[in-house]
Amino acid sequence: MMQLVVGTFQHLAGRRRAGQTLVQLVVAVFVALVALAGVAAPASAEGESIRVQVKDQQRDANGKANNQPVAGVSVTVLDGSGAEIGTGVTDDKGAVLIEVPGRADYVVRIDEGTLPDGQALSAESPAEQQVSADSFVTAIRTVNFFIGASQSESTSTTERIAQRFADGIRLGLIIAMCSVGLSLIFGTTGLTNFAHGELVTFGAMIAYFLNDRGVHVLLAAPLAVIAGGMLGYSFDRYGFARFRKRGIGLISQMVITLGLSIMLKNLYLWRFGGRDKPFLNYTNQVGTQIGPITITLRDLTVTILAAIVLVVVALTLQYTRLGKATRAVSDNVDLASSTGIDSSKVIRIIWVSGAALAALGGVFRGLDESVSWDMGTSLLFLMFAGITLGGLGSAFGALVGGFVVGVLVETSTLLGVPTELKAAPALVILILILLVRPQGILGRAQRVG
Amino acid sequence: MDIGGVLENTILQFIGFNACYYAIAAIGLNVQFGFTGLLNFGQAAFMAAGAYGVGQTVTIFGISLWWGVGIGIAYAVFLGLLMGMPTLRLRADYLAIVTIASAEIVRLVVRSVKFRDQFGGTDGLSGFASAYQGVGVDLGLQPAGEYGFWIFTFSGRNLWNLLVGWSLVAIFGLIVWRLMKSPWGRVLKAIREDEDAVRSLGKNVYSYKMQALVLGGVIGSFAGMMLALGNANVQPDNFSRDLTFFVLTGLVIGGVAKVTGSIVGPMLFWAIYAFLDSLLRELVDKPVRIGDFTLIQSTDIGSVVFMVMGLLLILLMVYRPQGLFGNKKEMAFEGR
Repeated sequence: MMQLVVGTFQHLAGRRRAGQTLVQLVVAVFVALVALAGVAAPASAEGESIRVQVKDQQRDANGKANNQPVAGVSVTVLDGSGAEIGTGVTDDKGAVLIEVPGRADYVVRIDEGTLPDGQALSAESPAEQQVSADSFVTAIRTVNFFIGASQSESTSTTERIAQRFADGIRLGLIIAMCSVGLSLIFGTTGLTNFAHGELVTFGAMIAYFLNDRGVHVLLAAPLAVIAGGMLGYSFDRYGFARFRKRGIGLISQMVITLGLSIMLKNLYLWRFGGRDKPFLNYTNQVGTQIGPITITLRDLTVTILAAIVLVVVALTLQYTRLGKATRAVSDNVDLASSTGIDSSKVIRIIWVSGAALAALGGVFRGLDESVSWDMGTSLLFLMFAGITLGGLGSAFGALVGGFVVGVLVETSTLLGVPTELKAAPALVILILILLVRPQGILGRAQRVG
Repeated sequence: MDIGGVLENTILQFIGFNACYYAIAAIGLNVQFGFTGLLNFGQAAFMAAGAYGVGQTVTIFGISLWWGVGIGIAYAVFLGLLMGMPTLRLRADYLAIVTIASAEIVRLVVRSVKFRDQFGGTDGLSGFASAYQGVGVDLGLQPAGEYGFWIFTFSGRNLWNLLVGWSLVAIFGLIVWRLMKSPWGRVLKAIREDEDAVRSLGKNVYSYKMQALVLGGVIGSFAGMMLALGNANVQPDNFSRDLTFFVLTGLVIGGVAKVTGSIVGPMLFWAIYAFLDSLLRELVDKPVRIGDFTLIQSTDIGSVVFMVMGLLLILLMVYRPQGLFGNKKEMAFEGR
């Protein structure tokens, strides 16, 4: 697979014109994804059907809903007059697909005798559910049955606060990791890369597709990071480096990143599908109690690994020659160039390492939540809030700002912000920081307008 | 293969309702992006402001639909001030970030359970447009009647939407065209080219930028109103980030800083979209497979077409940043 990608890139290297190579790059990315996505999704049935799912209501260590499928339950679909249309038994995913003659009113009934021993339907979930003709939004209408008690959180306030902070730290570390590249690319080239979220998703996608083909996630993750770095490399080499050379304005380049974002996002939607999917390894872990917080081993590992990676990034930036050169270029390109730093090489390295870090962040986010085609897009705005807070263009600012935003977003629910709106405080931070201190907490006071 | 059907769809989308409200939104975006150089990447939020303004009147506030125009404008002005105040004194990128973020938050708020009583949650709002449709009936367009000739045959309801929509396009097109020829418009263009030079001439750049942002936003809110009235409902997920991007793509196709560009561009956007979509639907009537690998099936067509639209945007910016009608010099501003 890698050889194929490398081969395609080598083939691309022979060409000269910017746009043409970009098209070829896109083809290469597409070929890579197609090849990885080789295990094709089964074609959907042509006619209407009812998908019945039986789930055991549980919550995971974080208090998030984590329903478990229930297999071996008999299901019957009846039409309006009570005549039987079809029957089935749920598979190991807790689901069964029953074909129906068309969009009409049906009754779905499950046989309570076939539920696992000692289990009963939840109080809110009757054994019979009505399906009306106009509730078929697509050809497949899903009907859910729940067993077990409805779970509700019953933890003390301290535990809730500690739990939210633990989640916030994890999100903050991931956002910080993803936004280093975004901030440094801005600092060195002035480009606001709206496709950066897609670089995050890219990492998770590659890891997922490899994982889906039987590669363990521990091996898939580094491969995804390498692939992410290669994508960053080709973005710069076959795209933005040429645009800079051709003198295409920053605004035009920014619109190009919008186009890239639209394109990649829809490519993911096409190849991956619209549903969230978890990695195959380390799912359904039971949390362990550490002090006031309950955390799964997986999430703990992600947190620690993310912290280590960020410390390494910070030390690299602070002490190595490359790190110093990066900060110099990000501070003032012309001045850095005049001291003998090859700024276009530094920019290339920033693209590669920034995209690789974003890909790693995507894998971590995929482990933490699940993989979806728009996971990066939804993080992008938090990343912007983070790097603005930290100081646009500053490397350490991205680390600090991203971390603070992640923690604030997760802990804002403690202050009564509804979970569905927990991203909103990030906007408030963004606006306040721009009003009060537009250079960000770590940015140097200078004229930014 | 039904080539005729593909072409018919293409032509109908070229002059269709989608192209029409996109054109209104693009005229507004052009005031900000094309003429003033403001990077408003949150036009969807302004459209949502207009749409929810009219949507809320009958269903939430219980007042006449026509107040909705005022409410929509008020929402848009408020949004413009909110986005503009922290950012317009700063470098151009900050506005881009804040607008894109605000648009996302606006969408999250209107679809949230928390504010369901104000904005209708994920179901959105409906059942407010009868007064608007009533005017069409009073003018003699029967909702179920058929009007027109050849392939241009519309139901009375659609024809009414198209008439109102394209009239709005014409009105706003004329207003903006006239404004940009005025001294006020020349200041805006000068700000786009060199802000400091304009400042040194004693103009209040911040105020001009704010006026442009708000004016563009208000025009954008009319696009949202038109969308709400035409569909007779408001759906929160219509106002996603992609809406802004597609309006922008339309504008870039036509050419920025030209009123004709902002009208013809969205029409072409929808024509290209309809062409690709219907063509693919003709070609992929059953899943295309290579071995057991499904390359494309009918449910994939939407994302494939949008992928191509994204690619189109990239190619345009590389090879013809001025679009069809634009002037290359007017797309060369740096924004920092």
